[in-house]
Amino acid sequence: MKTLKRLFAAALCAALCATVLAACAEKEPAKTEKLTVGVIQLVSHPSLDNCYEGLVAGLKDAGFVDGDNIEIDFQNALGLPETAEQQAKNLAAKKCDLLIGIATPAAMAAYAAARGTDIPVVFCAVSDPVAAELVKTLEKPGVNCTGTSDLLNLDAQVKMIRAFQPDAVKLGVLYTTSEVNSVTHLEELKEIAPKYNFEVVAQGVQSSADIPQAITVLAQKVDCITNFTDNNVVNNLADVLAKANAAGVPVYGSEIEQVKNGCIASESLDYIELGKQTGAMAAKILNGEKAADMPVALIKDSKPVINPDVMAAFKITLPDAYAGAEKVTK
Amino acid sequence: MTELLTVLTVTLEEGLMYALLAFGVYITYSILDFPDLSVDGTLPLGAVLSGVLIRAGVNPWFCCLAAFAAGAAAGSVTGLLNVKLKIRPLLCGILVMTGLLSVNLVFIIKGTGGFSIASFFDLPTIFSAAPASAIPQDIGGYRLRPLIVALFIAVVCKLALDWYLTTKSGLLLRAAGNNAQFVTMLARDPGTFRILGLSIGNGFAALAGSVIAQQKGSADLQMGTGMVVIGLASVIIGISLLRKVRFMKATTKVIAGSVIYKACLSVALALGLPTEYLKLLMAVLFVAALLSGNMLDKGRAKIRD
Repeated sequence: MKTLKRLFAAALCAALCATVLAACAEKEPAKTEKLTVGVIQLVSHPSLDNCYEGLVAGLKDAGFVDGDNIEIDFQNALGLPETAEQQAKNLAAKKCDLLIGIATPAAMAAYAAARGTDIPVVFCAVSDPVAAELVKTLEKPGVNCTGTSDLLNLDAQVKMIRAFQPDAVKLGVLYTTSEVNSVTHLEELKEIAPKYNFEVVAQGVQSSADIPQAITVLAQKVDCITNFTDNNVVNNLADVLAKANAAGVPVYGSEIEQVKNGCIASESLDYIELGKQTGAMAAKILNGEKAADMPVALIKDSKPVINPDVMAAFKITLPDAYAGAEKVTK
Repeated sequence: MTELLTVLTVTLEEGLMYALLAFGVYITYSILDFPDLSVDGTLPLGAVLSGVLIRAGVNPWFCCLAAFAAGAAAGSVTGLLNVKLKIRPLLCGILVMTGLLSVNLVFIIKGTGGFSIASFFDLPTIFSAAPASAIPQDIGGYRLRPLIVALFIAVVCKLALDWYLTTKSGLLLRAAGNNAQFVTMLARDPGTFRILGLSIGNGFAALAGSVIAQQKGSADLQMGTGMVVIGLASVIIGISLLRKVRFMKATTKVIAGSVIYKACLSVALALGLPTEYLKLLMAVLFVAALLSGNMLDKGRAKIRD
């Protein structure tokens, strides 16, 4: 009886597989003229939305217009990496001509889904593509994957903090230990800080519940705080600012949106420009160039942004060198 | 000194806010003896719902009530799954928690127009709008306003819960966990009271989510991670460590437990314990509290012998 049951179950499984395969075969589209580009964005937040906007513009500049000669299949994973993986697999199964991942987890999902196929992958806003094992080296990826990196310009950032607070000694940073980008940035910051006579005091957290106490303790130990592109910290920015400011410690942001929301200043990357550059690279690949030979583009040029209201609250005067900084407020 | 006091204010404030969550866990875990994992979903449910409502211009105090109601509704689903469909307690919690992930996402996306975090930095919250606005933001250089509001809410909830547990319904709820047969003997269905208890417990968890979100000015799904453990730890630390203290009600011990838990975290952070070990420290603390409770019991048994 048991054997019979097992046989029956096996038969059912086989039937199921066959149906799925048949369905897939039916769906196999007769290749249209239009090229399809699958885009997976990890989550909607201002910087990443700017990336996508720039990406579409970059493709358009190179002659690839969405709905005209290409079809962009845009998917938002709403902050869940496992959703990104599923979306990437679906796009790869549909045999799109190019996969683009915005932010590290989305890029890694796209890369994993495209492995074993001939679909090239382009990533956008990945701080450390080598550590994420998306490319072998920045100069020559060596795999069917390339893109743009948004490594922060920490040198310019620390230089700016030094100019704003000539007497500060300890530079604090709050970061989430599980975010690869933050760990990479922290290592770099520790190398750069001594050049400007700063001592780095890093405080890690594991979850958003740790932040209120961690920032309170950190603010007692330091003269100023700088942010990375740490998603957990940025999501809790209001609380971080309230507690740091109460202790009289200014917080420097890592991009313009944070300055708008109350950080004192930032050496900010232009994410629209980053997106445009990604779009230009994607266009080259659509035109037949090999991703494996295309170096990863680093945007290192940052521009200073300040929040005059916060500067007034901390009684910091704008140094002459930063007179041309963009001024933003809420 | 100022440093110590600043850290102390924040620790107390955090402890009091998380005490609401601990009340919820106290009802489900201690009173009903039901290991309820749904709080990992109901806490962000309260947070997200409040965030979305505040963005829509709803009164923040009303948001707290709405969060409690939503949490209670979700909790009653956990109860119904267990009592009516005879699904195991752990599974019920996991099912509701998983389902709530989607519900929370839908709320956030509809409420913010596509974002997965609802922020309301400059909008009125219970910490900034009337009547809290009557309290000065800074008292003697300390941010006491959030502490006072958190204390007020914790005390009101504690008194309400104390009162409820002495009512007829509350007594039957306690009996449903302790001695279900007794409830049956009184011609009442213990299942009904289990559903009611889960509903109130998750209402408190959602209320905690609402208060925590309003304090930090944003709500997202990640807020739910690890909440069951924080709640359980607070309840067990409070009740085990203070087992010998007779004059304190269990609810007061729960508040104390929550503050002690947060204080341990603050001490660890201030002493510069590497972050990687934080959760391990919490686990050790958890075990220590459980053991101390057991040892107190043994000690007492020996004296009796």
